[in-house]
Amino acid sequence: MQTTATVNTPAQPRSAIGTLGWIWQVVTGAALIPLAGLHMIAQHFMVEGGLRGFDQVQSYLSNPIVWPIELLFLISVVSHALLGVRAILIDLGPAPRLARLIDPILWVVGIASVAYGAWLTYAIVSAA
Amino acid sequence: MSLHSTNRARPRKPWQWIDIRGRRTGMWAFALNRLTGIGLVVYLYLHFVMLSQLFMGRAAWDGFVELAHSPLVLAFDVVLFAGLIIHGLNGFRVALNGFGIGVRQQKTFFYGLMAVGALLLAISTYLIFTL
Repeated sequence: MQTTATVNTPAQPRSAIGTLGWIWQVVTGAALIPLAGLHMIAQHFMVEGGLRGFDQVQSYLSNPIVWPIELLFLISVVSHALLGVRAILIDLGPAPRLARLIDPILWVVGIASVAYGAWLTYAIVSAA
Repeated sequence: MSLHSTNRARPRKPWQWIDIRGRRTGMWAFALNRLTGIGLVVYLYLHFVMLSQLFMGRAAWDGFVELAHSPLVLAFDVVLFAGLIIHGLNGFRVALNGFGIGVRQQKTFFYGLMAVGALLLAISTYLIFTL
């Protein structure tokens, strides 16, 4: 009896970055369950109307425990998302020249996304 | 006999992800994970744009909060939660399978997790429309 397990095994090629990327995607995926859960509960479900007002956002992000958690959430969600995009792009079988551009572009997008989120958090908190 | 999924190779073209003809549970799970993943990446960057309203000050943010209470946006939130729940639970199964855990039971595992997901989505939908 054939017992293949091919379809839902990880999509990334088993290159060095592919293996590390897959491990990182699993780690961030596991981290995202409590982090996204906490984000949803604290930012939406515990708030009347489902969204914090401007002052409430400032107050929440000013909490010294909250902003490192939100930063960890940001890094986890961005890296998890972009590794997923990488897996899809590589699965599409791009030409080698194009494939070589995928990682550098995604690194730039990822760093820019985390920097933007961190800067936005800092700007909101410092405006309080 | 394959325990799950399909004998066909992993689809290379995106439109083949949603071509479920002749496919089995594994392919449904694969397609769901890809489609919800793409949707969530789009939402992530849309979320960044929405959060930029905070930088524009109190009036801009409070205006956005007002808009977010419209039934259309709330319905969009339900779709978002469906994507999060399906992707999260299915991703959990894929990760376990990747470590060789539950590979033989993955079909049952998938249906079980999707049943849990349906329950979570029903609770989330209630909360979204009643908060």
